[in-house]
Formats: sequence, C-alpha cells, structure tokens
Amino acid sequence: MADLKIQGLAKSYRDVRVLEGIDLHIASGEFFTLLGPSGCGKTTLLRTIAGFQHQDRGEIIVKGERIDNKPAHKRDIGMVFQDYAIFPHLTVAENVAFGLKARSLPKAAMDQRVDESLKMVRLEGYHARYPAEMSGGQQQRIGLARAMAIRPTLLLMDEPLSNLDAKLRIELREDIRDIQRRLGITTIYVTHDQEEALAVSDRICVMNKGNVEQIGTPFEIYRKPVRRFAAGFVGTMNFLPARAENGRLMVGSQSFPFAGLQAERAIEIAFRPENVILANRPLDEEVLHLRAEVRKVTFLGREAHYMLTTEAGEIVAQVADPSSDFIDMEGKPVDICLPLAKIVLFDRNGDLVMTGAAR
Amino acid sequence: MSRRFRFDLWTFVLIGAWTILLILLVWPLSSIVRASLIDNETGALSLVHYMEIFTTRVYQRAIGNTLIAGFGGMMGALVLGVALAFVTTRFHIYGRALIQTLAVIALVSPPFIGAYAWIVLFGASGVVRKGLDSIGVSIPPIYGVAGVIMVFSLKFFPHVFLITSGALAAINRSVEEAAESLGVPPAKRLFKITFPLILPAISASALLTFVLSIADFGTPRIIGRDFNVLATEAFNLFGGEVGGNPGMASALSMVLIFLSMTVVFAQRWVLRRNVYHSNMIKKPERQHVTGLRSAGLHLLAYGIVLIGALPAFIVVIFSFRRTSGPVFQPGVSLQSYEKVIATVSEPIWNTLTFSSVAVVAIVITGTLVGYLISRRPGVVTGALDALLMVPYIVPGIVMGIAFITRFNDPPLALTGTGLIIILVVYIRRLPYSARSVAAALKQVGPNLEDAAVSLGYAPGKAFMKVTVPLILPGIMAGALMSFVTAMNELSSSLVLYVGSTITMPVRIYLSVMDGEYGTASALSTILLSMTAVAVYAAFHLSGRKESALL
Ligand SMILES: Nc1ncnc2c1ncn2[C@@H]1O[C@H](COP(=O)(O)OP(=O)(O)O)[C@@H](O)[C@H]1O
Ligand SMILES: [Mg+2]
Repeated sequence: MADLKIQGLAKSYRDVRVLEGIDLHIASGEFFTLLGPSGCGKTTLLRTIAGFQHQDRGEIIVKGERIDNKPAHKRDIGMVFQDYAIFPHLTVAENVAFGLKARSLPKAAMDQRVDESLKMVRLEGYHARYPAEMSGGQQQRIGLARAMAIRPTLLLMDEPLSNLDAKLRIELREDIRDIQRRLGITTIYVTHDQEEALAVSDRICVMNKGNVEQIGTPFEIYRKPVRRFAAGFVGTMNFLPARAENGRLMVGSQSFPFAGLQAERAIEIAFRPENVILANRPLDEEVLHLRAEVRKVTFLGREAHYMLTTEAGEIVAQVADPSSDFIDMEGKPVDICLPLAKIVLFDRNGDLVMTGAAR
Repeated sequence: MSRRFRFDLWTFVLIGAWTILLILLVWPLSSIVRASLIDNETGALSLVHYMEIFTTRVYQRAIGNTLIAGFGGMMGALVLGVALAFVTTRFHIYGRALIQTLAVIALVSPPFIGAYAWIVLFGASGVVRKGLDSIGVSIPPIYGVAGVIMVFSLKFFPHVFLITSGALAAINRSVEEAAESLGVPPAKRLFKITFPLILPAISASALLTFVLSIADFGTPRIIGRDFNVLATEAFNLFGGEVGGNPGMASALSMVLIFLSMTVVFAQRWVLRRNVYHSNMIKKPERQHVTGLRSAGLHLLAYGIVLIGALPAFIVVIFSFRRTSGPVFQPGVSLQSYEKVIATVSEPIWNTLTFSSVAVVAIVITGTLVGYLISRRPGVVTGALDALLMVPYIVPGIVMGIAFITRFNDPPLALTGTGLIIILVVYIRRLPYSARSVAAALKQVGPNLEDAAVSLGYAPGKAFMKVTVPLILPGIMAGALMSFVTAMNELSSSLVLYVGSTITMPVRIYLSVMDGEYGTASALSTILLSMTAVAVYAAFHLSGRKESALL
C-alpha cells in the first residue's frame, strides 16, 4: 500500500516545456487516470515517475519517501507499455517470471506466483507459448501479469489498450480494473480516450499542454467541469457565445435573468447534448428558450443526434429512444429548452464563471 | 540533473569511434585529396592533375567508360533482378528455394570469378568458342565493353532481386485490386501502381549496383582488355608500371568518389517524396499460370539464375580438369589442387587469419557504434553516423591507395604488414556492421529494456538479458557476411599486398593474369567453398532471411 505525492514537477526538452509544475496526490490503492490529448505530456510524466527520465524540478514522494534519486530499477514500479514490450525470446511463463528472478524468489514461490498471475489474466495453460504465437490482447495480458507479478508499490500503464480493437479494449479494461481492485495496487493509468477514463478510474486528472486542468472523480469531471478544456475534452459539449450583463444572461437576441452575473463581459455557455430538450413543452424547472432549425438527424437506434442551427451557433442535441416523427424533422424549425441547472459558464480564459446550479 | 555530463562507457565508445574513423578514414583519405592537389614537379598546390584529366584523352575515355560500365551494369542488373523478383513473387514458380539459392551463389562468389569464367568459356581460347568454331560458327571473343557489362549484370542482379522481392512482397494486394476495379488494365497497373510503390527499393538497388560497378577493378582488368576505367587507370598510375604518378592516381580516385557521391544524392532526390507506408492487410498472391506462359516464366527465372551462377560452376568443374600450362586438357585430375597445396597454400592461411581478425574487430566496434547511433542520438553521434556513410562510396582501390600513401612512413608505417590489409577491410566493412546493429536495435525498441528495468534489472543487465539475445543472431549473421566480404576483397589488397601477405583473391587474380587457369580454378573453388559455408551459417542464423546477405 503506497500513496504517491508529486510536487512542482517540471520537465523541458531543450527549450520546450513539456511539464510545467505538476502537483498530484494519489491515495493508496487508488486507480488514477491521466487523461489528455496526444502530446500533452502524459507519457513524459509517467516515465519520469518510473525513473526512465529525470525531472528538471520537483519531487516524487512514495510512502513519504523521496524516490527521485533512486535509479529506475530500484523504484519497484511496475509498468505496462502501449506496445506491450513483451520479451519475444522468452516464453509466456519466463516473461512473467522475469521480474521475480531479479528479486531472487525461491523456485517454488516463483512458480506459484507465475501460475497465479497467469490465472489472474486468464492465460492459464499458455506457459510454454512464445509471444509471437499470441494475439495483441493476449500479449497485453502477459504484460499485465508480468507487471503485477512483482507486486509493485506502484503500477503505471501507458495507453495499454490503444493498440487493440474496440471490443477487446472494453473487455480488457474491465479485467484491468477488477485485478487492480483485487490486489489494491496504486495505479496510474494513461489514456487519451475519455470514455475509457470515465469507465475505469477512481479519479481522473485532465491534462493539457503540460498543465493539470482538473482533477476529480469521473462524475465531477463530466458533470462539474471547472475548465473549458476539461469540459470540451471529456464527452461532447456544446459551446455558445453569450454575454453577462447586470444579472442577465444574453444568448443571441434572447435575454434571461441570471442571478450572480454582475460584471459585464463576454462569456461562453456550455451544456451537454443530452441536456437539450426538444419541443417547447411546459417544464417545472427554469430553462433558457432558443429557436433552432434541424439541419441533420443521425439515427443511432438507442438515441438520435440532432445538428441544430440556433441564432447563436451550431449545437448538438441528443434524444433517447427517438420515435419516427422525431426522425423526420430534418429541415424543420424547432423550439429548444436548456435547463438552467445543467448549464455551465466559462470566461474568455476558459475558467469557470459559475454553474447554472449555483445561481 | 539530467543535463549533467556523465563520462560513462558510451562517452568512451563515442571518443573511441571518432578516433578510429579519424585515423583510419579521414586521415588516409585526406592524403588522397592532398596528393591530387599537389604538382608532382614543383610540390606546390595546384590543379594540374585535374586539368590533365580534362585535357588527356585516355582519362576522358576512362571517365566515359566508367560511366558506361556503371550505367550498363546497373541497367543490366536492374532488368534481370526486377524481372526475376517480379516473376517469383507474382507467379507460382516451382523450386523457388532453388532459385534463391542460385541467386545467392551468384551473389557471394568472388567478384572477378565471373569475368574469369566467361573468359574460360568465351575468351580467345574459350572452350565454348572453340567448340562452336569447330562446327563452323565463329563468334568474337567476349573481351571489351560488352563483356564487362554482361559480367556486371550477371554478378550484381542478385542484389536487385533480393531488395525488390522484399518490396514486392510487401505491397498490399488490395491497392492493386483497387486499381483494377477502377478500370486500369494489368499492364498499365504495373507501371502506374506497382513500380512507383517499389521505387524506393529499385532506386536503392540501382544505387548499389552502380557504385559496385564503378568500383570494380578485377572485372574490367580481366575481361575489359583495352576498356580502361577509372579504377584500372588509378591502379596503373599508382602501381607504377610506368614509373607511377600518385598525384594523378589520387585525382582519378577523387573523380571516382565524386561519381559515387553524385549517384547517392541523385537517389536521395528521386526518393525525396516517394516513401510510402502501406498497411499490410492483404498479402500479394502468387498467380497460377499454365501451359506456354508457365513454361516461359520458368525458362526466364531459371535462365537468369543459372547463367548468374554459371561462373561458380565453371570454376569448380575446371578445377578438376587436367591442365598443361594455360590450356585445359581432356580428363579429370587433382593436379591443380596438388599444385595449390604444394606451392601456394600461404594465401589460404593469410586470407583466413586476416579475415578472422578483421571480423572480430568489426563485430565488437560495429555493435558498440551501432548501439550508440540508435540509442544515444545527438549532434556528435549524428556526425559520426554521417561519416560512416563515406566507406560506402569509396571504392576499394581508392581506399587501398589512401592507406598506402598515408601509412608508408612513421608514425604509422604499416606498408607490407598484414595489419594494413586487415585495417582496410575493417574500415570498409565497419559501417555495414554498425548500421545493421543500429537497425536491429531499432526493431527491438527501447521499451523492452525499459520493461526489464522496471522489473528490477539495472540498465546494463537489462541490455545483456533482453537486447543482446535478440540482436545476437543478426550480429552473428552480419559477422559471417563481413567474413565473406573480407575473404573476397581484391582491389584494396592488390594495392597493399607484399609477397608474404598475399591473399587468395590476389593470388587468383595474378594466376588469371598469368594464364594459370588451373591454379586459379582450384583456388577459386576453395574460396567459394569457404564462402558457401559462411553464407550457409549466416542464412541459418538469420532465420533464413535473404536480406541478411546484403
Ligand atoms: N525525447 C523527446 N525530445 C523532445 N521532445 C519530446 C521528447 N519526448 C516527448 N517530447 C515532446 O514532449 C511533448 C509531450 O510528449 P508525451 O509526453 O509523449 O505526450 P503524450 O504521452 O501525452 O502524448 C510532445 O510535444 C513531444 O513532442
Ligand atoms: Mg504518450
């Protein structure tokens, strides 16, 4: 059991700043995900924690002890790689036993740990196989078993599923989550796939350009974004330009009373597609009304997506369980309602102004 | 801090590699540059040699002939190699393994054996020519430009074949099917789709065969007669048959290097946009054809490789023929071998020891330098990598001349020693070894070592436990191929040998020049057998990939 504290971690390549003062505190046994677009510094952060490269500034503290002066092989940190990094010249069992050998476990204990690890990733019976004879999903299972077998204080995974096809990705991410829970190993998981992050994490850290944008539970990240970047990156989010003026919110030519919006300034109003209500029916909550025209309908079975043109801009609305007259709406005008409790306002810098729920 | 300068093993290797390249490559070659710019009479800096090249007919002819030989050899090899690659990758041909083996035999047989074997068959007193003569068909002897180009084509086509078959086998079949579905007829598709996709492979093999053709010394010398090329002129001027003119030899060497370099840049230019990455979804299939078409394709494929491998067979057969002087007599005998063992066994031992020593040195430095290039990128390493390109474009004869002029006097007086012959082979082959190790390391990928480190192994140990086992077969295969090249090296050794350091290729060359065809055949057969053993082992180690032989 180990917690991890990162303080003021910074790293540059030449004069390009890749990490700009990262602060994190990851609890013992937590499944913590770094989520962000490609190139935002996730791999760099992970490899710095693992000790494959060294930070310019900052501290890495595991169980209250600084580890950044230790060489990588003494940090006792397990790693799962995007390209699996399975040793092709060793059998499956030898791969899993590789880290145990470095720890000079007795033979019997080692065999038992190998069996147990392979069983855990559902590869029992594959001991003597060579990796070349196995599929990508199976290879990543070996990678997982190999990293777990040494019972590391910390487990790092760098986009372990991104080379697999969609179905396998879902299957394996569930397995990863179950195994991590069972063993209680503190885990840092890197992905650029927001759905994957939402599905597996205890907490998510949204990163952008070497900075932490927001840290929170999947629910908080999705429902209570505090930065425009996090709001836009996780899930689909509609953004419309708006103005704040003397306690009123102006969207297009419409104006709504909105407590707490005093200072006069340009802002953005953000809301999720599933929170857009089509048709002007009476509702028992406060809403914003907008008129729109349906440009395009995409029917997806369980739901339908509507591309709408409002006077303030383009938005997407999502309707669950659409009926057939809903599907024939292309080209027609429609009234839409946005429940105030579900909207979020951001300022020009992408910082949260306030949420509709907090009026 | 990560920026801190650490004086570790790799810094040491880097300094060592630079030292080696400066002493064994830059310094000797600088002597050629210098000699080419010094007036023989006054000793002053001047362009007199270069002026002479542009005013003397014989040199102009040498330049023209070099280009003819280079382009001729290149074109011939391309036609034969691409045709063979196409037929064997796109059609069902019986005995593909045999075809590959024959191509490899043609590839690894000593370079000048071809010239010599064709003379045995079609020379002034050639067996086939005489045979035809006796039934009333008279053909001219093969000497001259046609012979040179023919020998080059037949000698170098296996390079083209091996490189382009790899590329052809890697084309996604769907791409061709897509073209077909868009209404492009098959013949047009070949030129519109297939050739552009394998252009990188074709141009790489064109470059290789051109450089090999213009650097070849033995072939024009043996079969060219008065077909002089830069390599032979440089050798004559240097060898001092008429007093010697090292300055002129150096200037011609510079022209030769310049030609190679031009072609390297031309190839880069051709390829400037043409690197395609395709995803291999559907592998190309081999088409089954029957009847006359099938017979024609088999005839073509077997014809090419059999003629290519013919010289090797010829020397083996003729080594067992009875001889009297330069003339072969009817009947079988071991007389040539008896003569070789009685009088000229020294070259065999010299060849074996020189090659072995060179290969050990090549493997050790090549592995370290290869690791440096692929895992420690940086400006200094990058410059080292660029410098390693130089031996690719410096012909053996030029390197030989450079060594003998530079290492003739103290502090490094090496002329006449075996070491100087070893060092030339070492520096010429080192880049191949370093590059192949670097390529192998790129395939292994640094993540495997990182994985081992994260599992608790110190970096050095991780390298030994993971990377070394993975690249070892490649290193060994490369070592054996270096051994093959070292054993067959003629041009530089010819400049550098003295009586006691004579090697097999030099001995064979001298025997051919003296008309001792029996001795030449026997020695060639021995050399060929040693080569075959090494090649077979390399092939075996590399998991039967022909690419290991390049
Ligand atoms: N070795 C390196 N040298 C220079 N720049 C690098 C190096 N590694 C990564 N970078 C740069 O650092 C940034 C972050 O990279 P990375 O951590 O790999 O991002 P991610 O994993 O989030 O995609 C990128 O802009 C990348 O180009
Ligand atoms: Mg990454």
